[in-house]
Amino acid sequence: MPRTIVTPGELITSERKKLGSNVHMHEGRIYSTCIGLVEEGTDFINVIPLEGRYRPMIDDLVVGIVTSERFGGYGTDINSYYPAYISRKEVDESLRPGSIISAKIAKVNEINEVELMNVRVFYGGEIISVSPVKVPRIMGRNNSMLELLKQGTNANILIGKNGRIWAKGGNTKLLEKAIAKIEREAHMENLTNKIADFLRAENKGAGAPISAANGKIPLEQTKHADSRSMEMSEGRDI
Amino acid sequence: MSKKKEVLEYVDKEGKRTDGRKADELRAIKIEAGVLPRADGSAYLEWGQNKVLAAVYGPREVIPKHHANPYKAIVRYAYRMASFSVPERKNPRPGRRELEISKVSGEALEKAIFLERFPNTAIDVFVEVLDSNAGTRIAALTAASVALADAGIPMRDMVSGVAIGKISGNLVLDLNKHEEDAPDAVDMPLAVLPNSEEIVLLQMDGLLKRSDWENAFELGMTGCKKVYELQKAALKKKYEIANGDEQK
Repeated sequence: MPRTIVTPGELITSERKKLGSNVHMHEGRIYSTCIGLVEEGTDFINVIPLEGRYRPMIDDLVVGIVTSERFGGYGTDINSYYPAYISRKEVDESLRPGSIISAKIAKVNEINEVELMNVRVFYGGEIISVSPVKVPRIMGRNNSMLELLKQGTNANILIGKNGRIWAKGGNTKLLEKAIAKIEREAHMENLTNKIADFLRAENKGAGAPISAANGKIPLEQTKHADSRSMEMSEGRDI
Repeated sequence: MSKKKEVLEYVDKEGKRTDGRKADELRAIKIEAGVLPRADGSAYLEWGQNKVLAAVYGPREVIPKHHANPYKAIVRYAYRMASFSVPERKNPRPGRRELEISKVSGEALEKAIFLERFPNTAIDVFVEVLDSNAGTRIAALTAASVALADAGIPMRDMVSGVAIGKISGNLVLDLNKHEEDAPDAVDMPLAVLPNSEEIVLLQMDGLLKRSDWENAFELGMTGCKKVYELQKAALKKKYEIANGDEQK
């Protein structure tokens, strides 16, 4: 079923339904609050946003860049409203501005200030920035899209909920292209199959199939990264 | 502004205006969303001869910090006219007029945004008028509203606006520069939340009778609804383009 696109303030339904995300009720009618796709159930209504910033939520895995050293910790840019705080207790090695880390959100307060935990430091690799609202699509239902990308590009991938993707090894050029395609077509159906076709065609076109020698990553880190991405299996296929 | 000459006819016997429009007809409007890659949301709008570019950044950290409100986000709206947007070069320094327009337009947008969801942050809206021909504050506000939606900022409704005027006894919608310069012109910019029909901006230059005002408001509201449809279409078009590519 093709989903309809709604704009802010557009009437979705006059029926009584449970309010999901990105909708609001005015005089008994339900309106959208952002540009997105309508997801309508028998008793609930939801709008899946197509634009928007990252809003920190507890337990999210995020990829951040350390921006400053503070008293007893570090300030980290996690693509949210303000820099997040990492206590020095949470990291084993010392960080410096520019360090790339992944972490879990330990605390979010009323004004969206964030504290991080389970910090891991990354060396090398690349960061690909995407719109945070497209992250569920890049992961896919039960990580189907993520697995596809890993197989197709032979890269180690870690997706942060804040719209930053860390990738190392493999064909990162192709990965970037594939992610750009997912972002561009996030509102369309049957995306996983399209991306599978796209990756197959690109790999064939390049001539040389990807060899295992491309990914020169210590085995230990590979394992680590995989176990991390499994943690975030809540990705919904929209 | 007005030169000494014989009385001009602004609306002829067939109800046509000097540029061929009917009394309740808008100028040609073209809106495009998402034109600036580095902004969180953006829009480009052409309204008759007016050309306006709007960019939205945020919600983001407020600097200087003492401006922040711990209960809601603040909207910082900057309306600027490029020095080349008017026939005679304009001093690029923001003047009294621009500051006032920025203030009232920012307050109009505040009514539409769920500010309390983003405490301690600022939503920055920058609107640059590249070419002007009367009605730029409304053009700017219309573009800013599309840019806010493009940034994914949760809103109760879009903000749509239009100007209504009275020239030589005739109520007309959306004055152009020539009509605005008429010796007896009354100009009334109006912006509303189209679904709830709430007024968020209303100014008036000149005087109107009570009965005229009521008719003018009626005319303005229908105009705003037309603008609202164009805004919606512009936002949806951004996603249709990607759909079209796929079918090829």
